[in-house]
Amino acid sequence: MAVELRPPAARPEPPSRRPGLGHTLRQAWREYRSMRTALVLLVVLAAASILGSLFPQEGISPRRVDQYFGDHPALAPVLDRLGLFDVFGSAWYMAIYLALLGALVACLVPRSRALVRVLRSRPPRGGSLDRYRTRAVFDTSASPEQAIRAARTVLRRHHYRVADHPDGPDPWGPGDPEGVPRLVGELSRGGPPVSRGELAAEKGYLREASSLLFHVSLLVLLVGLAYGKGYGYRGQAAIVEGQTWANARVAYDTFTPGRFFGLTRLAPFQLRLDDFTNSFHDNNTPKEFVSRLTALDLDGHPTQSQRVAPNRPMTVDGVRIFQSDYGYVPVVRVLGKDGTELLAPQEVLTLRDPASEWSTGAVKVTRAHPQVGLELTMFTGLRTAPDCPGGAPFCNDPRLVRPVLVVLPYQGDLQADRAQSVFTLDRTRLKPLGDRPLLLGLGQSGELANGLEVSFTGLKQYSVFTLARDPGVPIVAAAAALLLGGLIPSLYLTRRRIWVRATPAGPGTTRVELAGLALQGKPAFEGELARLAQQVERGTLDAPDRST
Amino acid sequence: MSPAELATLSDTLAWLAVVSYVVAAALFGLEFSFRVGWLGPAGLAVTVAGLAANLGAAVARGLAAGRVPWGNMYEFSIIVGIVTVAGFLVWVYRRPEIRPLGVFVLLPAVLAMALGGLVFRVPAGPLVPALNSRWIVIHVAAAITGSSVLCLAAVFSILYLVKDRVERRQRAPAPPLVAGGAKTADRVEVDQAVARHAGIWDRLPSADTLDELAYRTTAFGFPIWTFAIIAGAIWAQAAWGRYWGWDPKETWSFISWTIFAAYLHARATAGWRGRRAAWLAVVGLAALAFNFYAVNTVIVGLHSYGQ
Repeated sequence: MAVELRPPAARPEPPSRRPGLGHTLRQAWREYRSMRTALVLLVVLAAASILGSLFPQEGISPRRVDQYFGDHPALAPVLDRLGLFDVFGSAWYMAIYLALLGALVACLVPRSRALVRVLRSRPPRGGSLDRYRTRAVFDTSASPEQAIRAARTVLRRHHYRVADHPDGPDPWGPGDPEGVPRLVGELSRGGPPVSRGELAAEKGYLREASSLLFHVSLLVLLVGLAYGKGYGYRGQAAIVEGQTWANARVAYDTFTPGRFFGLTRLAPFQLRLDDFTNSFHDNNTPKEFVSRLTALDLDGHPTQSQRVAPNRPMTVDGVRIFQSDYGYVPVVRVLGKDGTELLAPQEVLTLRDPASEWSTGAVKVTRAHPQVGLELTMFTGLRTAPDCPGGAPFCNDPRLVRPVLVVLPYQGDLQADRAQSVFTLDRTRLKPLGDRPLLLGLGQSGELANGLEVSFTGLKQYSVFTLARDPGVPIVAAAAALLLGGLIPSLYLTRRRIWVRATPAGPGTTRVELAGLALQGKPAFEGELARLAQQVERGTLDAPDRST
Repeated sequence: MSPAELATLSDTLAWLAVVSYVVAAALFGLEFSFRVGWLGPAGLAVTVAGLAANLGAAVARGLAAGRVPWGNMYEFSIIVGIVTVAGFLVWVYRRPEIRPLGVFVLLPAVLAMALGGLVFRVPAGPLVPALNSRWIVIHVAAAITGSSVLCLAAVFSILYLVKDRVERRQRAPAPPLVAGGAKTADRVEVDQAVARHAGIWDRLPSADTLDELAYRTTAFGFPIWTFAIIAGAIWAQAAWGRYWGWDPKETWSFISWTIFAAYLHARATAGWRGRRAAWLAVVGLAALAFNFYAVNTVIVGLHSYGQ
């Protein structure tokens, strides 16, 4: 924040008055809107944010929060009550930043008013110029009027706001505090001058204006953030190749609406995953994964089509669709001993482990007696001993070169009437069926110990998308641009005041005095003023001789 | 040249740069301690040569990998060396008298580069899909520049704290003679001598100069750091569908931004100007270092690309 434009109002209180409640409140208010308070709150905000990175956060990694609860069963509930698993949404964190915003507003209002007041008034007179530490004096043969005119041209060229203070005694006299705010400490004593022509010039109020813009932008940014959070939503959806997905809440795997988001506001569209491809570098690190997505209206007419990849989202009806994950969908069929179809070819969603590229899933054959459950592990490219690095007995090539399904069969009660994960079996009432797993290549079939036939009939891929709508983004983006636009001038512009006075000093000679004050960049100001004086001197020499 | 040859050339140049910086730091250190006239210009020449090698290392690395040379922590460390040393050279060009401070700037740069080379070195290679965006050019370049310049500023703040301490000791009034007490006249003389010759630290530029160097360097780095965070938010919006999600990297960027914002405010606040403000800059440096080293390696988040 910049230096105040006016001196703090020093209104001496009558000594007899006792400090009452009003006085205390006024004092507290003054303290609250002081820069010191803002400073302390900034440091407190930074310290509080550290907590948010030390503990797992509900909003970012809920699984790690659960893990923390498992690892620290005694401590975790206490931390939870303190809001340490949701620091950035907790009441105390909000209290800190709201206090900071309050202090900001309380500080910005008087500063804006002061700026407007200063911009409306003319740059004041300088009083006695020999009091200023930064001065330049020269004599010229031009008349005082010509010297003043030259000075005005030079100062305007350097973007100074210039005010003429014509002849006559200085109405404020030397050392008037109103004329020289906050900088009185820099002055030295001197006698009153005989003024014959005077200019007062100032520049750099854009610094204060920029600083105000920066701080107001911060407020606007937070408004945009809150608006987007409140009226937007985020969700994740998995779509299998060739399938069409409708944008309805039930179709999302996870859905996080904003507080004021009405469900009826979900945009009416459907998405079809036409194709998904993923590729790898030679060292088996992922190269790219791309989904070809088509958006359809509710009648099934395609409206747009796009390749969606990391860093390449698609926008449909204001909803942004991001590629976030993918996985494999083996198609499995189970036949009974007599050839009846116990499980029609079923697309089995599996979970992919990004490190090994294995996928795991489960098949539940409820029509078999007793019921049969199959644990599936799918390899994209199963390799064995000599082809594997480090002497491992088997390994997996992430490329889809040799898909193999490893089937571990179980038999018993699947407890399918109870809610359970689609990716795993509840093995509490299941017993292993047979003594070895079944290895099936694509298109192969195998027989289980009880005579059932399992076939790996097909393989598809699915793609996971994050869908998000944030109506606050344009506000936040504009605020960020203004913030940066305000920050740079508020740090680099310098505020200066300069006075130029021309007085007759003997026959045919005019003495020109320049004096000034710098609020920022003081070390450079000396040279600046000297250069200005040189330019004014040159300007007066160019002027026609005073005798003509 | 083939990519493999370029990668080897890059490694050679990077070590050459580190060695040059160590030599230059030694020369500046000797200049600072013994005030031998020719040491400083020699140090400057070696620094410039080291910077050239450093730039060459980055360019060769970029050509070898076929992308911008700031895709992982090792490459980041190399660019940190470039920005810090170049920033210092700009200051020396404008203020030749601060040249001996080179030892205090080059040693942290060497530390960062050596750490990068010994701990985080990975072969030149392509980027993971999540990083494959043109925003890596803008966001990461701004992040390296901003954080390196702020680190340079914090080095000036640390030197300011040292010099300020020396100056305050010298200003302290001589202890009074106490008849029969512990302070004999001899003892007082020794105290005064110690105060007068506060060692080599006395040769630092005045505390006011260092404070101004620190402030102006921070004022240069802070908007770049702000821009880096904004660019990161734009990228996050394009890649993850949200511009801010309190990922550990985002959290620590915000923390360090807040601390340097506090520093800028502190310099205009009575009671905080000077020492307290400088301490804030030191805390800011710690936050930046934590953000780069700890958040990338220890804390699980979306930015764990480095290792």
